[in-house]
Formats: sequence, structure tokens, C-alpha cells
Amino acid sequence: MSAELRVENLRKVFPPTKGTPLAKAAIDDVSFTIAAGEIVVLLGPSGCGKTTTLRCVAGLEHPTSGRIAIGGTMYTDPQAGVLVPPRARNLGMVFQSYAVWPHMTVRQNVAYPLKARGVKRSEQAGFIEEALSLVELSAYTDRPVTQLSGGQMQRVALARSMVYQPQILLLDEPLSNLDAQLRLRLRDDLRRIIKRVGLTALYVTHDQQEAVVLGDRIGVMRDGLLLQLAAPDELYNRPADIFVAGFTGASNVIAGRLVSRDGARGDVAVAGETLIVRLAGDTAAGSAVSVALRPDNVLLEPANAGPNQFPGRVTSRNYQGTQTVYEVNLLGQTIEALEVGSSIRHAVGDAVTVALPAEVCWGYGA
Amino acid sequence: MDAQAPSLTVAIPNRHAERRWLPTAWSGLLIVILAFLVLYPTAMLLIGALTTTNPVVEGYHFADLSISNFLTVATNPNVGNALANSMIACGGGTIVAVLIGLSFAWVVVRTNTPCKGLIASAGMLPLFVPPLVAGVAWSILGSPKTGLLNLLAAKAGIPFHIDLYTMPGMIFVFGIYYAPYVYMFTAAALKNMDPSLEEAAEISGASALRTMATVTFPLILPAIISGMLLSFVVMLGIYGVPAVLGAPANISLLTTYIFALTAWSPPLYNTAAAVAVILMIVTGFLVWMQQKVLSGRSYTTVAGKAFRPRPLNLGPWRFLTLALAIVYLIVVVILPSIALLIAAFRKFLFIRDIPSLFDAKQYGWQHFIKMFDNPLTITSIINSMKVGVITAIVGGILAFAIGYTVTRSRAPWRRTIDIITTIPVAIPGLVIGVAYLWAWIGLPIGIYGTLWILAFAFVARFMPDTVKVLSTSLMQIHRELEEAAWICGRGTVGTITSIVLPLARPGVVAAMTLLFILAIRELGSSLFLYSSGTMVMAVQLLGYYEGGNIGITAAFSLVQMVLLGILITITNRISRGATPTGPVRTG
Ligand SMILES: Nc1ncnc2c1ncn2[C@@H]1O[C@H](COP(=O)(O)OP(=O)(O)OP(=O)(O)O)[C@@H](O)[C@H]1O
Ligand SMILES: [Mg+2]
Repeated sequence: MSAELRVENLRKVFPPTKGTPLAKAAIDDVSFTIAAGEIVVLLGPSGCGKTTTLRCVAGLEHPTSGRIAIGGTMYTDPQAGVLVPPRARNLGMVFQSYAVWPHMTVRQNVAYPLKARGVKRSEQAGFIEEALSLVELSAYTDRPVTQLSGGQMQRVALARSMVYQPQILLLDEPLSNLDAQLRLRLRDDLRRIIKRVGLTALYVTHDQQEAVVLGDRIGVMRDGLLLQLAAPDELYNRPADIFVAGFTGASNVIAGRLVSRDGARGDVAVAGETLIVRLAGDTAAGSAVSVALRPDNVLLEPANAGPNQFPGRVTSRNYQGTQTVYEVNLLGQTIEALEVGSSIRHAVGDAVTVALPAEVCWGYGA
Repeated sequence: MDAQAPSLTVAIPNRHAERRWLPTAWSGLLIVILAFLVLYPTAMLLIGALTTTNPVVEGYHFADLSISNFLTVATNPNVGNALANSMIACGGGTIVAVLIGLSFAWVVVRTNTPCKGLIASAGMLPLFVPPLVAGVAWSILGSPKTGLLNLLAAKAGIPFHIDLYTMPGMIFVFGIYYAPYVYMFTAAALKNMDPSLEEAAEISGASALRTMATVTFPLILPAIISGMLLSFVVMLGIYGVPAVLGAPANISLLTTYIFALTAWSPPLYNTAAAVAVILMIVTGFLVWMQQKVLSGRSYTTVAGKAFRPRPLNLGPWRFLTLALAIVYLIVVVILPSIALLIAAFRKFLFIRDIPSLFDAKQYGWQHFIKMFDNPLTITSIINSMKVGVITAIVGGILAFAIGYTVTRSRAPWRRTIDIITTIPVAIPGLVIGVAYLWAWIGLPIGIYGTLWILAFAFVARFMPDTVKVLSTSLMQIHRELEEAAWICGRGTVGTITSIVLPLARPGVVAAMTLLFILAIRELGSSLFLYSSGTMVMAVQLLGYYEGGNIGITAAFSLVQMVLLGILITITNRISRGATPTGPVRTG
């Protein structure tokens, strides 16, 4: 039953209100496609438009322009006057506040969508049973939901959104109201459950870890723009944008000037030295660039000599048990280097050779 | 506290230990005040119902306490008749009020009907119209022979005739004027409901109607029942409407019957007390039943979170809802106002033909001049203001103290305080009047004959409503907000003044405003507690009405309405300034 979701040039401008007299687009020209059975996570800081995108797909929000098609059928197309109401979209949605109905029991909550669809009473039981066992709540069937814990309510919401085998499952920060441990467990459970049912899912979060574990692909959003949509490893290793790079942990930024470029390879002048980088965009030679690099990709005292190696000095050390973070001064700037392992290899004040592997130094026009 | 802040307890053990007795003393103080306001008068009323002693003549001797006095009254067919009439009138009125109030709440909170703000504020207007004024206005409009509507219809040749001196007439007037109570409760519940609860139903495939029936309605049901309960109990205590609309057709309600008993000569204080006790039992039973229905069914949907309302787009139908709202406003505000204006300014109410209705020569200030020639008019206005201010201040402070103590503190006997506070729910205004009469009339020194007895009676009478308004706004303040202040090292009093009071201020201001306005309009309990020196507006108006001069009655009604209007505008200004704007949205 799971279907493909196609979102094209989605744009939503909220009408101006007293507080925000100048209307700014909450989402701007967002396009992506989710294949049937795929889990895509939208990741981004607060207010970047994740929820708005999700609600547009659900039909709860009407976009200003753009198109949304599910399984090849157009559901939203304001230009053509197409706006299928939420109830007719056959979607499942898990809300951030759970939105389980407090005046019903677990069973009544889960049965509700079946009743609304006119599923025969005799057939309901089977579906409910299956959904509840999927989320491991079979023992709580007749409890009022007000007597459940947060995690259990969350699972009721999940069972309710899946019991009718929707085309697509939408989840809006479903784990953000739970404590850290439960969040870890449920996030693994969630992926397992969604994959077992084979649902297409659009998942919204601002937690990177959650995104990486859950998503087949991750879309990073900022200020209403979808910056990059890619598989987690690609996102981490080939960020398309300085913001994406920073957001996924490439916290070292070295400022320099692009001297020359040869395809995707560029030579960047920094403090009189030349740093070889990979260029994500079409930055022209002569312009200022920012080079982003993950601390764990910085090598201290590399075994072999090679390009992109510079002398530096350790200025601080932060031992974290299974890893150590060093601050190193090089090229007139301070960057962080992360070494895995419980042993400490350098002391503050040590002179070190620092290697910045060219294939993980990403340069972006500044 | 100990469990929450162990480090604090360790750091300052002495200070902590010293203050142990404080909560107990505080609860004790509240209970003493409540006993004085509620328990003592109620006890005296019960005793009064069981004796045949006249407290004015003989003082309080209770040697002859016996249930037989009470049973004699209870089995009287007139009492049964009045009881049945009361149930029909108030029950019918409540149904009408729920229909109107609920629709209004829905239109205002959940639709894109134009001019919603106007509808919302205009929808509250009837709350401020004293029932006696409403009754007078509608008797001018709809009395069977001389009612303006009937006269005009006859002159215009329209086959239309209404008679409001009937049971349906009373139900109609009750219903339209008490709809705002239901509106207030349900609108608040609708506003405070997490919209994703409804969105989840929509996503689940439920139609708008089904969502409303299976999610929205059950979730606001507690609010609807609260509103119903409040409006029913208020109606039961109303004297003005049945006095004006019921009396001409000899339809006696419990309230009018009780007052008739004390107006007898000699006054039948014991019988009145007995009937008042019956009224109290009926109300108490209903309150208990409603509480049972409500128990375990209240859903706290508010958790330090402001929701963005999601109005339903009605399309062209939004003009229909606007039209219905306008019709309601015409019926409840404009028509009665026109009736009062005509009656107050016209030399003679008789209308020969339609052109004479617009004949300027027929109009003048003569009724107003005559009215202000009577010194009691001014005295009653001043007295009403004084009582209103005392009631609002005393009642507001007390209600906040009680609301906070019961909902937030860990002081002992909270349950007892809560129970005593809710007792007046089961005591209609008129009964409070009789109870206070019994409590103080036989004492040579005391508050009988002063304005204070009126104010105390009002504070006691409106205590449950005031505390409820305040508790609701207190409960909307998430406990963690307060706990955060404790963690920051604030004491209880510091937390109340720096966190709770500012956040609850709209609620406090609303409660005090409500008290002030209710006190000014209150007729039921005033009837038994005023004296010649403490005449209040409501009683004076009744005096004019019973004096038979409809012109002066209408003129004084207008004066009261204008006064109330000015006061409401002023208090609205104040409370608007107090309402924090721009709710923070999370999630
Ligand atoms: N109904 C609305 N009216 C006006 N502005 C809105 C509305 N809903 C959202 N916005 C604005 O649109 C922008 C995107 O909001 P959205 O709720 O999609 O953010 P988000 O990415 O989900 O953030 P968070 O992680 O905090 O939930 C925000 O600037 C928000 O203020
Ligand atoms: Mg969001």
C-alpha cells in the first residue's frame, strides 16, 4: 500500500499578522521525491519550515504554490484548484504532542480510523490486534490512554497512524517529548516497525543522531530552503553547503582565498600556504572561500608525509574517555582535532604535524 | 518542599522549621472566614426551617426544633407547583442557553465568520443586563395586550402575536440572557484544546462533522456541563424575570414564592426558610449529579503551551453565521434597548398608530425628572457602587487565596476549604438572602441594616464562580513555571507575586470585574437584606416597577444600563492592559 511522494516547488507564505507584518516564506521552493517504502528525514534548526512542509503534505496546511502528488495522484495543486482534504489522503500522522484522545481507551484510539473508514466491526479486531502487537502494547488494550506513560502514548499514536495501512506515514518530532534513554530505544524501534510494514515515511526532527539512524535519506533545511537531500554517508562526507557541513559536524572552518581551480579540485591560499580542497559549488578563482572539515578527519602526526600537511601547536586538550579533542593552532587559525581511543598522545604545547586530507576538506564560496 | 530541594533544606534548616506552623494557621484562617460567610448563615437557615419561632420578635430560641414544621411546608401543593415551574423554566432556559452559547463559541473560536471580535464582545453583553431590566424590557415588548411588538404588528396588519407572560416566554428570556455563561466556558475550552487532537481525527479519515461529534464535543463536554450547571443555578436564583413575566399569569417560581412569603403580613420567615431549604436541596442534588458525571472526565489539555487556532473556512456560509449572530444581538440587545428608550422618553406608552411612534411631540425627559426628584434614586446608585467595590475587592482577594491554596499549595485541610467554597453553588441568591436574614436579623448588634451584609452575602454567593474562574487560570499556569521559581530560590510568597500573580492576572482581573458587575445587578439576595438606608439600585428598580409607573421604570433601567456600560468599558480597558499579548508558540 505504500506509495511514492513527490513534492514540487512547494512554497508557503503565511498571511502577515500583527507580530510579523512582513510576510516571509515559511518554506520556499522545496522539491523532493520519496520512493515507495523509503524513509526520508527532514532535519533542520527550529523554525526552518519542517513542520510546515509536513503539514502541507498532510493537507492540514494549504501551500501558496507548488504541487504534491502521492502515488502518482495529484493531492495538492493550488494553481489547478486541487486540494484534497486530509481525511481523503489516506495518510498516517504522528504528532509531536501525540494527540492521543484522552477520552478514549487505547483500543478506541486505534479503532477510530477504522471506524471512520467504515471497516466492519468483525474485521476491526484483527487490525487493532496487529497494530498493537507491532508496537508491543497488546497488554494495554483496554486502558484509558490517560493512564499511560509518555512512551506508551507515543506508541498508541504510532499504532493509530498505521492501523489502516496508510500510503505514507508522517511523523513530526515524535520523540522530542521523551527522555533521552527512551528516545534512543524508540528511535531504533521506530525504524524497525516502519521498515517491517514497508511504509513510506516522512520524518521531521532537529536531532542529527535520530536522522542518521532513522533515515534512508536526510534532507537538511534552513530558513525554508531544502539545502541538500542525500543518504546519511553522503551528507556527512560530501556536504553540499557550508551550513550542511557545519550542521552535520564539520565544525572546523578555515578561511582563505581560492587561487586556482581544476574541476572540483581547488588550491586555497591560507596564511601563505596552499591548501588543496574539494569544491562543492562553482566558486571562481580569486574569491574568498571557507573550508569546512570535521574534527575527526584531522590527523595529528600522520605516518607518511604528503600534501596538505602543516606544522601546528597543541593549545588545549579535552580528554573524554574514549576520545580526545585537541585544539591546534595552525595556519594562523585554531581548529579542533579528534582522536579516537582512550590513550592520550599529545600534550598541550607540543609541536605537531597536522594533515588535512584533501578529499574531506570542502571549500565553499564565502 | 523537602523532597524537591534537599540542598536548600540542609542549608537553611532553622528558617524552614520555624515556618512549619504557617500553612496550618493559614488554612485555619481561611476556614474561619468561610465559616463566617457560608456555614453560619446556612446553619441558621436550616434551623429557621425547623422552627416556628419568629426571629425578629422573639430572638433566637430553638427549643421547638422539629422536622414537622418543615414537612408541613414541603407537602404544601403550592410549594410543589412552584418547584415544578422552576424546574421547567430553568431547564428549558438552560437548553436554549446551551444551544446559543455553544454555537456562539464555535462560531467565534473555530470559524472564519467576519467580525468575530465584534460578535464575541457583543455576545457577552447579555451577561451585564440585570434580569429585572431584561424582564421589564421584554414585558414592554411582548405583553399580550400592550406589548410594542404586538401593537406594531396589529397596526401594520401582520398576523403576529406573542405573549411573554407565559412559561415559554420565561424560558425564552432565560435562555437568551444566560447563553453567555455557556459561551464563556465552551469558548475557553475550545481555545485551550490542542488542535492536533482534531487534526489527528481528520487525518484518520473522519469528516468534519464526525470529528466534531467524536473528538471535539466529548473533549469540551466537561466545559459544557460546567456552563450548564452554572447557568441553571443562576436561573434558579433569579427573581427579576419571573417577577415580571410570571406574576401577571400567576406562574409562581420558587424564588417569587419565597419572596411572597416574606412579604406577607406578618412575614412567614419560617415557611420562607423551609422553601429556601427545598430550593437548596434541589440545587444541591443537581450539583452533586453533575459532579458525578464530571468525575474522572476532565482532561487537562493545557500544558504551558499556547495553541494557534485553526479556523474552519466556511466559504459563503460564513455570512449565514454572521447573520445569525446579528439576529441574536438584535433580539437580545437592540430590541430591548429600543423598547426601554421608547418607554422612558414617551409621555404615554400607548401608540395610536405608526406615525405617532415617530412624533417628536410625544417624547420628553419628564420620567427622568420625576425619577431624580426621588432622593432614593441617587442613594441607591451610590450604595450599589459601594457594595460593588467592597464585593470585588474582598471577594477577589479571598478567591485568589482560596484558589491558590486549594490548587497549588500543600497547606492542610485543602479539601475542606474546597468543599466549603463550593457550598454556595447549591445556594441560589435568594436563599443566601434568606439565610443572611436569619443569621443577622435577630441579633441586636451586627451587620444587619448595613452595606456590609449585602457585600458579604454577595461574596459568599459568587465565591464558587470566582474561585472557579481563578482556579482555571491558575491551573493553566504549568506547575513547572512555579517550581522553576522555587528552584531559583524564591519563597512561596515571592513565587506567587513574581510568577503566579502576573501570569494569572487576566484571570484575577476577570474574576474581580465579574464580581463587581454581578454585585451591582444582584437582586435576589438584596431583596431580603436592604433597609431604607441601604437601598440598592436593583431593589429600587423593582420598587418603581411594582409602583406601576412603566415610564420611570424604563428610565431607571436605562440609567442602570448606561452605568453598567460605562463600568464595563472601563474595566475592559484595565483588563486588556493586563492581558499579556503575543502568546509564545512552541513545537
Ligand atoms: N500558522 C502560522 N502562521 C504564521 N506563521 C507560521 C505559522 N506556522 C508556522 N509559521 C512560521 O513558519 C516558520 C516555519 O515554521 P515550522 O513550524 O514549519 O518550523 P519547524 O521547522 O517545524 O520548527 P520546530 O523545529 O521549532 O518545530 C516559522 O518561522 C514559523 O514562525
Ligand atoms: Mg515543528
